[in-house]
Amino acid sequence: MPTPLQPAGRPRAKQLWYAAVFPQLVKEHSAALLQRLCMHAQQFTSFVSIEPPNALMLEIKGSLKLFGPRLPTDIDARWRQLGLQAYSATAPSTLAALWLARGAMGRPRQPCPGTPASTPIHIEDLGMLPGRLAELPIACTAWDVERLQTLRAMGVTRIGELLRLPRAGLARRLGKATVQDLDIALARQFAPRRAFVPRERFRARCDFETEIETVAYLEKALEPLIAHCADFLRERQAGVQTLRLKLRHRADPATHVHLGLAGITGERRRLMDVLTQKLTRLELQAPVRDMELISGALQPLSAGSLDVFAGRPSAGASGRDSLPQLVERLRARLGEDAVYGVVSIAEHRPEAAWRRVQELRGEKMADHPILTDRGMPRPVWLLAAPLPLESVLLILEQGPERIESGWWDGKGVARDYYIARQTRGARPHGAPLAHGARLWVFQERQSKRWYLHGMFA
Amino acid sequence: MLRDASALADILADARVWRLKDASAAPTRPVWSTGCSSLDARLPGGGWPTASLIEVLLGDIGLGEVQLFLPALVECQRRVSQGGGEAPWLVWIAPPHEPYAPALAQQGIELERFLVVQPASATEALWAAEQALGSGVCAAVFLWLKGTDDRWLRRLKLAAEAGGALGVLFRPERHRFESSPASLRLLMTQGEHEARLDLLKVQGGRPGPVDLGGTPLGAA
Repeated sequence: MPTPLQPAGRPRAKQLWYAAVFPQLVKEHSAALLQRLCMHAQQFTSFVSIEPPNALMLEIKGSLKLFGPRLPTDIDARWRQLGLQAYSATAPSTLAALWLARGAMGRPRQPCPGTPASTPIHIEDLGMLPGRLAELPIACTAWDVERLQTLRAMGVTRIGELLRLPRAGLARRLGKATVQDLDIALARQFAPRRAFVPRERFRARCDFETEIETVAYLEKALEPLIAHCADFLRERQAGVQTLRLKLRHRADPATHVHLGLAGITGERRRLMDVLTQKLTRLELQAPVRDMELISGALQPLSAGSLDVFAGRPSAGASGRDSLPQLVERLRARLGEDAVYGVVSIAEHRPEAAWRRVQELRGEKMADHPILTDRGMPRPVWLLAAPLPLESVLLILEQGPERIESGWWDGKGVARDYYIARQTRGARPHGAPLAHGARLWVFQERQSKRWYLHGMFA
Repeated sequence: MLRDASALADILADARVWRLKDASAAPTRPVWSTGCSSLDARLPGGGWPTASLIEVLLGDIGLGEVQLFLPALVECQRRVSQGGGEAPWLVWIAPPHEPYAPALAQQGIELERFLVVQPASATEALWAAEQALGSGVCAAVFLWLKGTDDRWLRRLKLAAEAGGALGVLFRPERHRFESSPASLRLLMTQGEHEARLDLLKVQGGRPGPVDLGGTPLGAA
């Protein structure tokens, strides 16, 4: 998959960047942690970029409209929640935001008691940018030591002094990259950045200290895994439609529990619900040593599901289900085929005039005409196969309705259907019928034999 | 006077107070007309009580037991599709035979909101019924069973009350002398010429035979 690049734009304040620097992160261990922080950051914007070794950059212009002007403060709060010290700044260019954030790191955290705690650095106006950048020490650029030493030797300690130097001379002495960086910082030039692409599956493992032999314990152990998975999905504004639970045993091959959901979801309660139902049907072949929860491919949640991500209780949490949820729960325990809908089909042969459907949408389907002769009623129950009627006394009440069809596909029928009532006496073999029950019977025209095909109830 | 009334209301609202025979005092529970005036007249509120469990004991299948409820189901679905409600689904659990789609469509059932569940065992059928009744998306849940214990019926009744659905349980006649928490118990048997309907238990009404004479139910 190609890494998406932020589209090149004109140097107007089309973008707004939030940069956060985490001074606690040490170079050697920062990569994995930064990735995890990216996942958190993706709650706030779709474009997050890593600036090694210890910073993240978020494009928040669009998000600001969505979340309101407090967004940068909210992001700061998230880092604090995670127990991380962070310095942040918001500016119209990537490098400006980054440099300002680094600059904030150099300042005392709380200048003196009484004054408002360090106000967030927030610059949206392009005109203010050179002025604010000018105050920063050149170390904020994090250029290589040689360049910084050359600059210090020239008596340059702040970016403002740097900006006053002639471009051509600067490019000759410090390299083109330096001038380019300054242009980028001042939003005169645009620099594409690599976006962070998250891993596309959730995978978490849980080792048991002792082997687990009952499904009930598995369910307990599954709860934190599901919670972890739901968090993972929420951070990505994503959901899954499939989940797999892998149960490893000491000697036997691992047991796989596959779970298909009716819709894309990232909701903890729903995932847990369906998996629990699935587990109750599971018969453990051997004790389980550890289990692993693996999600299917992540899929973006539809707009309707966004309330989950905003933390508001969704329809599912209020205790009432939607039909897909009900169907999902039933299918998880009873099996896919045990839950179905029915449609009628415009077809003369009674056994072909309907079929089962697995997809249940609740929407109005195309109306199929019901092909009957002069509105002859159809029975509520249809036998799976016509049952031969022998030595049974029937009173024919209505009919005949001649059905002759299907000669073209080899399953032709030629029958005369009647609505009949069985008189007192022997029951047809195997048919649990009441005397007096109304039956749907037919006589095959060739063999003249009688069959029971349905029952009115 | 007002104070007395509110004090009484407080007492009645107490979960420990259980009111007997109180059909008139529970007007919040809607009823569905059965489509048969002589039967409506015998039922408290004038129709099938929703958000409750009805038990139908059958001498045999094929006596018109489904026909007994179809007019109410059709009417309920029609009301929902006109925006008069939110729980439009009909669920049939463990029916004795395949529900025949053309027949249902012919009678006016909207098949797009009709669900069949075929569980492998009675316990799973009961579980499925409890889930469907309590889900809040079902208008009516029909369940066919050979037998079950009182404890499960109580669970179904609670689920039906919670989900606002009409639960109908079809069972063989031999269970008629067992106690049942259902708010309405019917017995359908075959008479000399047509099906007979007896009300065995009517919460807030009077039990006894119902004259179906002349209605399509008798002939169905």
